[in-house]
Amino acid sequence: MTTSQPQGLTRYDRRMIAIMNNRAGRQLYATRGRRRAIVAVHVALTAGMVAVVAGGPRLIGGRWQMLAAVAVLLPLWCVAMGMINGATRGLLELRDHALDERQLAERDRVFRRAHRVVTAALLAALIGMEIGGWSEAPWLEVPLRDALMVVLAMHWLMPAWAAGLMVQDEPADDLDADELEAGALAS
Amino acid sequence: MSEQVHNRLSVVRAERKVSRQRLAEAVGAHYQTIGYIERGQYNPSLDLALRIAKYFELPVEAIFSLEPFRPLTDEVYGRTS
Repeated sequence: MTTSQPQGLTRYDRRMIAIMNNRAGRQLYATRGRRRAIVAVHVALTAGMVAVVAGGPRLIGGRWQMLAAVAVLLPLWCVAMGMINGATRGLLELRDHALDERQLAERDRVFRRAHRVVTAALLAALIGMEIGGWSEAPWLEVPLRDALMVVLAMHWLMPAWAAGLMVQDEPADDLDADELEAGALAS
Repeated sequence: MSEQVHNRLSVVRAERKVSRQRLAEAVGAHYQTIGYIERGQYNPSLDLALRIAKYFELPVEAIFSLEPFRPLTDEVYGRTS
């Protein structure tokens, strides 16, 4: 989206568009393999954060240890999230009127895929709980609060993970030679 | 949607020496969207197609078509085969 449609675009929108389309770190997520690795790291960091917050002192010893773990995990989580947003050009972060028609269609596709994955995961979890109920497996006795935190994290972040995995490599000719030269001179 | 809309946007853009970024800014799209259209990976809405045609001051059928375009050299020099 560009400056050609100023109506409805606030200063915040313009700033966000500039940040999300910043090409400075594009080599970090230029290939599908790198994007998969970033999403995998982000999933792991999210799982760690949920475990720390849900488990709390019971899991890692005390309140201060819990805060220390969050202080270590949170910046890493934010960096990985930033990389996903950069790779998707802010597909999920920008507001509707800051995206063009192709991006809106792509965002719809991402939400549909994420919805299917979350639904399948919840169905699998429910079936697992039912089977566990029959066999009275003790490891399936998860507190409702912890289960809700996992569901919330999945529901919130699955679109970002799906978008990170679905985004295509940017063809070399997507930026014209004159723009690439300008970028090379500027860097 | 399975219908392929053919276009000669890249040819027109190169001929007019317009970058994807500049065209994108003029028609209110992302520069990647222009690339998607040129590669035939995205069919623009009628609204966007008309805005692109208006930018180049061409009729929309000069840039977009349901039939594949003949090479410009064939059109200019009249080769029929």
